[in-house]
Amino acid sequence: MKNKFKVTKEFISKTTFLSFPGLTGESRTAMDARLRTSGMTYREDTCALTNNRISKSPKLKVQTKTVFCLLLAAYCLFVFLCACAPQKEKVYRKSKILMDTLVTVTCVSNSKENAEKAIDAALAEIEKLDRLLNFFSPESEVSHINKNAGISVIKVSPDMLDVLDMSLMVSKNTEGAFDVTIGPVITLYDFYKKIKPEESVIKKNLSFVNYRDLIIDRNESTAFLKKKGMLIDLGGISKGYAADKAVEVLKRNGIHAGLVSVAGDIKAFGLKPDGRPWKIGIRNPRAKGQEDDILATIELRDMAISTSGDYERFFILNGRRYHHILNPKTGYSAERSQSVSIITHRAAFTDAFATGVFILGPEKGMRVLEKLGFDGVIVDSQGEVHITPNIRGKLEFKRTP
Amino acid sequence: MNLKGLLSSITIADKILLSLLILLSFSGILFIKEVLPKGCEVQIEVNGRLVYVLPIEDNRIVSVKGPEGRTVIEIKDNRLRVTESPCHNKLCIKQGWIESGAIVCLPNRVLITIGNREYSNIVDAITG
Repeated sequence: MKNKFKVTKEFISKTTFLSFPGLTGESRTAMDARLRTSGMTYREDTCALTNNRISKSPKLKVQTKTVFCLLLAAYCLFVFLCACAPQKEKVYRKSKILMDTLVTVTCVSNSKENAEKAIDAALAEIEKLDRLLNFFSPESEVSHINKNAGISVIKVSPDMLDVLDMSLMVSKNTEGAFDVTIGPVITLYDFYKKIKPEESVIKKNLSFVNYRDLIIDRNESTAFLKKKGMLIDLGGISKGYAADKAVEVLKRNGIHAGLVSVAGDIKAFGLKPDGRPWKIGIRNPRAKGQEDDILATIELRDMAISTSGDYERFFILNGRRYHHILNPKTGYSAERSQSVSIITHRAAFTDAFATGVFILGPEKGMRVLEKLGFDGVIVDSQGEVHITPNIRGKLEFKRTP
Repeated sequence: MNLKGLLSSITIADKILLSLLILLSFSGILFIKEVLPKGCEVQIEVNGRLVYVLPIEDNRIVSVKGPEGRTVIEIKDNRLRVTESPCHNKLCIKQGWIESGAIVCLPNRVLITIGNREYSNIVDAITG
């Protein structure tokens, strides 16, 4: 059967040639002989031999036409579906140095043009916020408030008002462990040059640290520092706030999924093109190399995560680690934790609470998280990992805690 | 057999088939362009300004001048690293070889990113 089918197909493919006008007499006989020599036969029900030429049977003609029509219809349908189907979604990403750190904006879009436009708008928003909130820029709005400490009430922008309002809320919920008026103590340290201030200087400057002396008036849109010498440093909340605002900008630009990462402050929304949530790695606070760089991973959708760690800016002097997370009560680096990661909806809160909970330590910190319904991972000073109940099982550990 | 004879014997079905084959060929080109992976680019920015876009496949050593001095980047075997930097903490050098993602030197305002390649097979971002 197999051979017969093969032969028939071969024969049919030659019928067009054989049916040329003019292929008569000897030529046809010769062709017929060649077919026989090569072991071919043909089926009478498929092809018929006429006087001077071989022609297709009416049945074959119908079959060929049907096949062509079907092929054409299938192709037209394919082209139509391709034209109608939305373009494949892709991940677009751009990084920039802003707020003295690496900012990466990632978004999912079916248009490269739209994605680039949205990413540029998000980066511009972060740049704008940096101009308002940068402690080190003499032109920033926060510097303006600081310069007028103990002197006058300052009219501030809605963004500044929001950041200060949230800062005070975090301070109240962390018993003042997070305090944006830490500025006078922060300026005493230089973690790159390994400069630790004298205790007497720390004590003196601590008298200017108290979030209760920061007065904001939402109705009048004003801020005021009660004592001359007070300094607001928004470094513990501004990056998270910037991530929140950048996500808002992406959404306004029609982006339905993405990720904004301002240093370690990350806000994720929507799903990746493969339909999965965004996978975030939590850095191992005592990593020795790239192999053990990640402590655990967690998948997030429409959530933010921030981590504060004692490994970011630090120096070791006489066996003691001096790092940038300062306790507003003592003026020295907090010692109860190695790293704290907080997960909730707003990146401004994850950023600020990561610092506050780091300073509070695991016991008090876990109580704060429980009270507010936030999730967190606390690596205490001994390296033990504490996790809020809601994310147990959702964390995938890359090394044994 | 001459061309005229050949052309006169072409049926409508043959013409349709020929058109289909041509269209399919073009579709194939578009499909390959869309689906096959594109080459990776290394982008080097200094102080927010793009100064180099280089293919990662070509081995080379690049030097860029930032506010603190010269940063030297080595591209080799589809990966890259910073070999010299004027910054005080040398974090960019300590990062070693990378095959995806970015190396950033904040003091010298140098940002080196590998584009068109997934940041990591494991995670989309790292906190901490």
